Amino acid sequence: MHEASIMQSVFEIALGKLEGSGYERVDSISLRIGRATGVVSDALKFAFEALKPGTPFYGAALVIDEVPVGGVCLSCGEDFSTDERFVFQCPACAGSRLDITRGRELDLTGMEVS
Amino acid sequence: MKVNIVTRILEANERLAEQNKALFKESGVFVLNIMSSPGAGKTTFIEATIKALEARGLRVAVIEGDIQGTSDAERIGALGVPVVQINTGGACHLDANMVREALPDLPLAGIGLLIIENVGNLVCPAEFNVGEDAKVMLLSIAEGDDKPLKYPLMFQESRALIINKMDLKPYLDVDVGKIRKDSLSLNPSLNIFEVSARNGDGIGQWVEWLAGYIDKNS
Repeated sequence: MHEASIMQSVFEIALGKLEGSGYERVDSISLRIGRATGVVSDALKFAFEALKPGTPFYGAALVIDEVPVGGVCLSCGEDFSTDERFVFQCPACAGSRLDITRGRELDLTGMEVS
Repeated sequence: MKVNIVTRILEANERLAEQNKALFKESGVFVLNIMSSPGAGKTTFIEATIKALEARGLRVAVIEGDIQGTSDAERIGALGVPVVQINTGGACHLDANMVREALPDLPLAGIGLLIIENVGNLVCPAEFNVGEDAKVMLLSIAEGDDKPLKYPLMFQESRALIINKMDLKPYLDVDVGKIRKDSLSLNPSLNIFEVSARNGDGIGQWVEWLAGYIDKNS
């Protein structure tokens, strides 16, 4: 629902990097989005297309790397990943004490400029 | 040319939230960020909380976040409490910058607690810190007992869950035990309170916990 404001933040950060770099255009933007965030990739792509006309991003591609939810079980030590957006039990031992370390990413990871 | 960078997209918001938090700490103000669906009873709950806290001598101020309108701020203002209305003009959540811009209109030096009523929405507000000490979410039982598993992020981010409109229980097919169980499976350290903001049931227990929590964490 707030993908447009998130994409606006991406543009602001990327413009800051572009400024003073001697380059003029952004050819691609890479994002890493965890699956446990409320952020929907399709909505991000829509916001990207809607916002880019008239900016240095007009010809840019958007690359999204979705990160599955995962972490370590504090009972049995299993390092797990899951297709679910949320996990309540260790897939190996069904223990409920989990250290969830992946799935909340909301990062700008790279851009190509020319 | 390829540029490798790793930057948190919400970094600008996080930075402003930290600045807000530092200012709150310096002023000795504890801050709650109250989140729920539209119509869950946030404003009525805040009214009841203010009355109970003022009876204990704690001075409160409120920031009201709404897409449009000032009716909530007028209700809170009628209690004689400092209040600032933020109209987001369409945005589905408050962010740290909106809160920062509202602060000059609040007498931070004269209050002990700032309650921020977020825009009614069960999804977006959970993602944006505004500099609060604790997030508190409200769920009214009329919304149904399936909400924790459908909107998990907000339940995971919150320190306390207020189950509101308990006075409607005789008229609803809702399993409050399931709300509790599912919420705790998402967030084992969640503190849960069953209340009716309308008739005051349960507000005493919530305020008792809140006062203790503020003492411990400020």
